[in-house]
This record gives sequence, C-alpha cells and structure tokens, in this order.
Amino acid sequence: MSEERTIELLIGPQHPSSGHMRLYAEVDGDIVVRLRPNIGYVHRTVEKLAETKKYIQIIPLVERPSLADTANHNLGYVLALEKLLGIEAPPRAQYLRTILAEMNRIHSHFYGLGIHGIMLGSSTIFMWGFADREIMIEMAQRLTGARLTYSYIIPGGVRRDLPQGFEDEMEKALRYIERRLKDYGKLFLRNPVTRARLEGVGVLKKEDAIKLGIVGPNLRASGVPYDVRKVQPYCAYPELEFDVAVREEGDSMARVLVRVEEIRQSMRIIRQVLKQIPDGPILSENYLKMIPPKWKEFVEKKGRIKFPAIMANLRPPKGEAFSRVEAARGELVYYIVSDGSVTPYRLRMVTPSFRNVVLFEHLIQGCRVADIPAIYGSLDYFPPEADR
Amino acid sequence: MVCGMNGVTLIGNLEESARKAVQWLVNKTPIRGIRDWGIAFSLWPVHFTTACCGAEFAATSAPRFDVERMGFLPFVAPRQTNLMLIEGTLTRKMAKAAVWVYEQMPDPKFVVAMGACAIDGGIFWNSYNIVRPKDILPVEIYIPGCPPRPEAVARAIIMLQKRIRRGEAVGLKF
Repeated sequence: MSEERTIELLIGPQHPSSGHMRLYAEVDGDIVVRLRPNIGYVHRTVEKLAETKKYIQIIPLVERPSLADTANHNLGYVLALEKLLGIEAPPRAQYLRTILAEMNRIHSHFYGLGIHGIMLGSSTIFMWGFADREIMIEMAQRLTGARLTYSYIIPGGVRRDLPQGFEDEMEKALRYIERRLKDYGKLFLRNPVTRARLEGVGVLKKEDAIKLGIVGPNLRASGVPYDVRKVQPYCAYPELEFDVAVREEGDSMARVLVRVEEIRQSMRIIRQVLKQIPDGPILSENYLKMIPPKWKEFVEKKGRIKFPAIMANLRPPKGEAFSRVEAARGELVYYIVSDGSVTPYRLRMVTPSFRNVVLFEHLIQGCRVADIPAIYGSLDYFPPEADR
Repeated sequence: MVCGMNGVTLIGNLEESARKAVQWLVNKTPIRGIRDWGIAFSLWPVHFTTACCGAEFAATSAPRFDVERMGFLPFVAPRQTNLMLIEGTLTRKMAKAAVWVYEQMPDPKFVVAMGACAIDGGIFWNSYNIVRPKDILPVEIYIPGCPPRPEAVARAIIMLQKRIRRGEAVGLKF
C-alpha cells in the first residue's frame, strides 16, 4: 500500500505580499516538490478592449496593467504607434521621454525592493523603499502632473516641457537617493539575515535563463548582459553613457543587487540627460502646425501641449508595427496591426512579468517553504502586468 | 426551559434571552458609544490586493502618508480584520476570492471600494471579465480616482470613522 507523501499547500490569492495570484505548492515535509503559479486573477482584457478604443485612448489603457511602471508602457505603445504613423518626435521630446522612463525605473525598483522587504518580514525595508520611492514620484509629478499614471508621452512628442528649476530639484533628489542607497547597503544588502535568506537561494543558471526566455534584471542577474537599451537603442539612449548591470551568481541576492545597480545607472542617465538636453519644440512639427494660432501662443509660453484636433481621430495607414523597450521588469514588446480605421485591428503586448512567471515553477522546485517568499520577492513580479 | 433562582421561576429560552439582553445593552448609549469609538480607531484592512490600485494602497500605509496614525494597519489574516478595501478592478476570478475573504471576516465589517473600476468599471467598463463590487458586497464608501491619491484613501478612512461613530455604517447593522 503506497502512502501519499506530499500535501498540497495553497498560497493566496489573499496573502501578505503583492497579492493577485495563487501558488499551488506540493510539499514533502518542508521541501517544495512542485510549485504551480495560478495566474489570471487580474486579467482585465486590455488587448481586447484596445480594439474598441481610439489610438489616443489606448495610452491610458496600456498604463493600467503596470501601475508601478507606467512610463515605459506608455513609451512602448507610442513608439509602435509612431512607426505606424510615420512620424518622429523632436530631439528634446526624446530626451524628456528618456528622463521620465528612467525616473519610473527608479521608483519601480524601489517598489520592488519594498515589496521584497515585506515578504522577507523586514518592515523597515518596506517603509524605506516606499518612502524613497515617493521622492521620484514627486519629481515625476512636477514634470507630468500625475503621481503614477502620467500619460505623458503622446504620438509625436510629450505633453509638457521641463518645469522651472527642475534640474536643481532633481540634483537634490538624486543626491538624497545616493545617500540613501549607502544606508540600504548597510541595513539590508549586507545584513547577515538578508544574506542568509537570499544568497544561494533560487539559483538561475545562465543556460536555463536563456532557454526559458527570461528578460530584464532576472536575466542580467544570471550573467547575460542583454538590455534593449543597448541592443536596439531607442529615444535618447544611443547618445547616453551607461553600463548594463550584470552579475554572475544568478541567485536571489544577485537579482536584488542588479536592481540596486540599475537605480545607480538610471541616476547617471538622468544627470546626463539634464546636462545634454537640447532646446527645441517638444512636439513633432507635423502636429505643431495643426494647433490653432491662439493655442500655439499658450503652448510656446507655458510649455504645455494643447492637443491638435487630429489626435482625436488618428488614422494610421494599413500595416503593422512592432516596438520594444526595456521596462523596469524587462523587455516589453508592443505589436499593433492597423486596418486604416480609428481603432487598431489588434494590439498585442508581451509583458516582462508574463515572461518571467515561468520562473516560479523553475526556481522554487526543491526549495524550502520559507524560501518561497524570498524567491517570489526577488523576481519583482507584478501580476496585473502579467495578466493584462 | 424552566429555571429557578431565589424563589423566582423563569420560563423560556434563557440563552436566547440573555443574548437579546446583551444586544440591547450593547446598543444602549454609553456602551454603544464606547464600542463605536473602539471600532472607528481600529480599522484593520485585510491584505487583499485585487488590482493595480494596490500600489497606491501600499503608498497610503507607507511613511509619507502614514495612515497607521488613524489606526489603519493592513493585516494578513482575514480573521483578525474588519475592513476590506476593494483595490481597483474586481475580475470574475478575484470576485470569488473577495466574497470568500469577506465571509471569513468577523462582524462588524466594512467594505470600501477604491478606484474608478470599483465604482462602475472605470476604463474597463466594457470588459468581459470584470464584476462591480456593489453587486456582491455591501460597499460603504467609494473612492473616485484612477488610481485615487493616497490622500483620498486617508480621507475615506476618516469618513468611515465618522460614519461608524454616528452609527450610520452599513456594517454595524449586522
């Protein structure tokens, strides 16, 4: 008579971390034999809804799946749309897009760090991560007027110019974050408890990472220097100097350290952007000439775009366009098929979180139950982004 | 049931009568005021994240906005909580879990719907996979916004506290 050795442990969808998903863990004693993620709790049919909305209305829609990383989603969609429309943003707008994308990367990584802290049972890191995230959110609010959902990047340019005194404020904010990152090193990254829980846990080998199609910091922590900003540069990235954060270990600690290093690189990019940013218009000449003369004065004086009427009914020619950007969680792909009408025929978004969800099953196999949150947090998985 | 003490004989269901007497007493002025004061300043939401508004919900309990000073502390287990925040869109799959978690919470319990999606669908109003929270749960307060700012969430908590202390909250009637 054979005896059942394993029991099934259900974690979620109501659990003390980021929520939105359920994990079926098959445990034998304290060892996880198999773990199956049950996704789809936040499937809100973004792709299908995009077929019913006009092109300009899709900008807020594609931001919603990834609320922690809205600027990069916005950017990815607009880049694909611009390819369809055959227009290009002026250089100043390209730089402004870059700065917002990097600011968003910083606060998204702090978000991930905070959530990871709460999964490890370290409330201090949750509090610190979320407090320091607010610095960048506040700066983004000065630039765009919104806390998280910016809708800042529009076809042909951006919505607003840099506000007065933004450079000085940003320098202050960056210096503050630099100082704080040293404290993070002391309190969290070099803390013996953190190291004991993260080092050597959930090791992702280089070959496996490539075979499974992992993207973003999770891939770079396994020693693959793949970054879309370097491989296929977009916006102002070709003119900027930055390093791709890579680590060889591939464990949970490496994934956290890669994110912290990326925060440093993003700060470096922001400093360069603010130094090199060229003067000029922030909206493509094609659209700028369509703004009525009365509003044009306002646009030039205030540095805020009044949408030309054509934006309401953008009709890209028949065809398809594809764009990819490096979002905070990895490579993000947008694919739009247009049939010449005011709504897209099909919009496909391949989100980094969805490509990383396979890691749950792969990494947690053979680990202890207490390692589940340690690995889960280190993946920086954002369920609404995966489920769309 | 017949019960006698000190020469007085009581007839009827003693347990039932005692329960009614306690309920009557608790709903009388001094005790009721104290009870509602206690409930108002110990609103512990269950850590149940339904959609993307959870990012702003987390920011609400983080240092900058710090709603813990109002006695609002997100907690893990539904059995020890009395407030449920529907954070944004409620999908069909999540709605089952939401009702499940709500049923596990002890009385009195309150529901706050956060975000435009929780009011009437918001940007996802024509999606095939969403549920309006008002159809499945007794919602106390709606917070508009997409996503609502943390200040709005803090304000909703203060409004809920006022409603509880005035005895108007739906959750108190059960």
